[in-house]
Amino acid sequence: MWKFTIRRMLIVIPQIILLSVLVFVLAKMMPGDALTGQLDPDASQESIDNIREKLGWNDPWYQQYGNWVVDLSKGDLGQSFTYKMPVTELIGQRLKNTVWLSLFSVILIYVISVPLGIISGRYNDSILDHAITGYTYLGFATPLFIFALVMLWVFGYHFGWFPTSGSVAPGMEPGSLEYVMSRFKHLLLPSISLALIGVVGTVQYLRSEIIDTKQKDFITTARAKGASESRVYNRHILRNSLLPIAAFFGYEVVNLISGTIFVEMIYGYPGMGQLFLEVIQLRDYSVVTSLVLLYGIAAVVGTLLSDITLSIVDPRIRIK
Amino acid sequence: MKSNKFYKLLVAMLLVLTLALVACGSDDEGDAEGTDDTSKSEENGEDDGEDTEEPVDKGEEILSQFQYDPSNTGEPIEGGHLTFGLVDDDPFEGTLNFNFYSGAPDAEVLNWFDESLLSVDGDFLYDQEGAATWEHDDSGKVFTLTIRDEVNWHDGEPVTAEDWEFAHEVIGHEDYTGPRFDETLRNVEGIEEYNKGEADDISGIEVIDDKTLEITYKEATPSLLAGGIWSYALPKHIFGDMEVADMDSSDEVRKNPIGIGPYKVETIVPGESVTYTKNEDYWRGEPALDEVTLKVIATSSVSQAISTGEVDIVNDFPADQYPDNEDLSNVEFLAAYDNYFSYLGFKLGEWDFDEGHVVENRDTPLQDKALRQAMAMAIDGDIIGEQFYHGLRWEANSIIDPGHRLYHDPTWEGYEYDPDAAIALLEEAGYERGDDDFFTDLDGNEMSFNFIAQAGGEVAEPLAELQIQMWEAIGVNVELYNDKLYQFNDFYDRVGNGDEEDDPNVDIFGGAWSTGSDVDPSGLYGKNVRFNFARWDNEESQDLLQAALSEEAFDLDFRKEAYKDWHDLMVEEVPVFPLNFGLEIVPVNKRVVGYSLDPDSDLFRYDIGVTEEEPQVD
Repeated sequence: MWKFTIRRMLIVIPQIILLSVLVFVLAKMMPGDALTGQLDPDASQESIDNIREKLGWNDPWYQQYGNWVVDLSKGDLGQSFTYKMPVTELIGQRLKNTVWLSLFSVILIYVISVPLGIISGRYNDSILDHAITGYTYLGFATPLFIFALVMLWVFGYHFGWFPTSGSVAPGMEPGSLEYVMSRFKHLLLPSISLALIGVVGTVQYLRSEIIDTKQKDFITTARAKGASESRVYNRHILRNSLLPIAAFFGYEVVNLISGTIFVEMIYGYPGMGQLFLEVIQLRDYSVVTSLVLLYGIAAVVGTLLSDITLSIVDPRIRIK
Repeated sequence: MKSNKFYKLLVAMLLVLTLALVACGSDDEGDAEGTDDTSKSEENGEDDGEDTEEPVDKGEEILSQFQYDPSNTGEPIEGGHLTFGLVDDDPFEGTLNFNFYSGAPDAEVLNWFDESLLSVDGDFLYDQEGAATWEHDDSGKVFTLTIRDEVNWHDGEPVTAEDWEFAHEVIGHEDYTGPRFDETLRNVEGIEEYNKGEADDISGIEVIDDKTLEITYKEATPSLLAGGIWSYALPKHIFGDMEVADMDSSDEVRKNPIGIGPYKVETIVPGESVTYTKNEDYWRGEPALDEVTLKVIATSSVSQAISTGEVDIVNDFPADQYPDNEDLSNVEFLAAYDNYFSYLGFKLGEWDFDEGHVVENRDTPLQDKALRQAMAMAIDGDIIGEQFYHGLRWEANSIIDPGHRLYHDPTWEGYEYDPDAAIALLEEAGYERGDDDFFTDLDGNEMSFNFIAQAGGEVAEPLAELQIQMWEAIGVNVELYNDKLYQFNDFYDRVGNGDEEDDPNVDIFGGAWSTGSDVDPSGLYGKNVRFNFARWDNEESQDLLQAALSEEAFDLDFRKEAYKDWHDLMVEEVPVFPLNFGLEIVPVNKRVVGYSLDPDSDLFRYDIGVTEEEPQVD
């Protein structure tokens, strides 16, 4: 068990190093830099060249990469060229929003998907089951960004039940109850959009897991022993079916990361995803590389988490 | 749908970056103060002697469908609260000080709580209505600036001449990384030496007393009076002890910004919204509103936000949404000339990095100006304006845009759309058609050009296609470069603002500029400027542009004449030709008063008020 975990974690290290090189080189290969877009006839070429030189943008990429890694090891992600603030602080501001969004979405996903999956699995081939699987097929087929736009239009604009942009209403006192409620309200629609599309995988896993388990011999045994139907489902079937779901938690997180990029863009929610698209446009390298690295690490760690849980749940994986 | 969203982002980017130009020149947009000596500028005729028949000015005709001012002329109520929509798909950057900011969205946030010490009139020339007054000596180089006694910072401290000097010292400091140390500031005597660390202070700036500053400039040019003076002070009592390198990221810039404007910053949600309260101590008088809320609105949400009254005014309204919204019952659409022109250009040379100037050395049939002239005649700017911009843009006759009323002249002749004349011109110049019916070059070889166009908005692609078809119609073979549109950065990287050489395969490019307060185009067409993307090297143009900036050019007629001559030269030489002028459109909720787009308006930002508690709803 520990051997597997440690081995699995060791693989992560070269993965992250490779990722960082790739990220850095690719970012530098993008045409233009943060100054290309500054089309100001008043700015003198001399001072622009000076800035390029001062910030080391004229150095060869491996040298820049070296500097970046050295700074990185000190926890310094550099300075954002457009935002004029340390990247760590900038990302910190946005990360908070994204974490709340993701966290709330994950909770919603499990709150919605577990009951649906159970119902669907327990009463398989009933009308209810057909409705639920119908929904999951629809969910699989609907791109998140379309769905989010429709949700925004219907509930944000048409009914006006939810705010349509931002993370908090202007002018709130941070820390007050009003502030927290306002943030919650801004969070609701984006995370519901994410969750309604995000649940489909889990519902289907759970459904097929339950149907699978239902036909196992030990269930027949349990029934034969006279266990009540609810006991059979709650104690025997559910417990066995939920394990793989728990193991997929890590992958779920990875999925959410890509999902938040779209959702934040559509809802004008200032999180990391929105920042990510923006800094790519502006060629703010230091932020781009830091964000990709962060996303990459999150993905790597997410899968690591899943693999480890899976190995705990299913000992067969450990033996290799 | 995905790509659609993406394009919107690009448009916003485009706007941000082009708008930044405006923001660089003069930050007093919108509320510019007018004086009456400008009314004469509309007419002319003495210059070119052809006063037979007043040709219809397309721009004026389009503009006349709109008003400058809201129809509501009621009295503003006490304690009003206005919401201002900052249209942007991204959060604003939050560098909230005029001395450090770079993005146009930040300028919108700044304009509510800070202002230039010098105000400008409808022609972007300094007048005496600002927080400071000015005079210059006979040489035109020495300016004496006097700050009014009643002008205070938001914390109650008076604005001093030392604060103003301090702003120069910070921007000129070698550790300063903002974008403001530009040609304008380099004109201050001794600032270069100070920048290089050779001098401890700037020799050209002298503090006479608490309220009086004297600045000596290296060169006297008419540009000095059109945004050529750095007119923002920096409070020394706050920033005085700070390292220059730390200033732009300090809390005093990002979290508790300070200014002298009509409203004070109350709260900031970074990148999203700002609330302001009234600055009772504002030097012009008490502002009309109690509170202002500024919030960022995504481009896709603007029309919803204005129709529901979520915002009262926005800083910028996307033209493509106008036809769907023009009938809204709760808002009024105001318009004024946008300081903007779009253009098409021909690549004639390259940039010499070592020498820092353009070299017109490209071996291309485009070196023949008859061909360039014909290609300019082939493009119909009016059709483009009608088809793609809902008639809010029209064919431009000149590079001097109509926003610069003193210099722009609608009667100047540009290139009228005339494909037959274009073909005749080509034939006359000796071009013959090849087997594929396209003209060949003068040696009889096949001739085709690469046209690089920018991505942005739904119209970008059909627009590029239409332009190519228009050229095809006169028998000139133009192809969309690599069969695709180029994203903003990539585009300018190839056209000539990258850190490497221009893309040698680009023959024709299309772009747009927002123009600053000074009409001088030498920043775009001079020999030593990177933005001369055509890489056009013409001595006569250099001379004319220089003449228009000379001391002689303080005489308006002289300067106008110089620009007229320069315009004629541009028409003759066509390194680039103007495509469209346009209107800036602002929807305003019907409860808003005291707001005006009129360049001659005598309303200031503190006059903006509301006549009802709640915004009107459609």
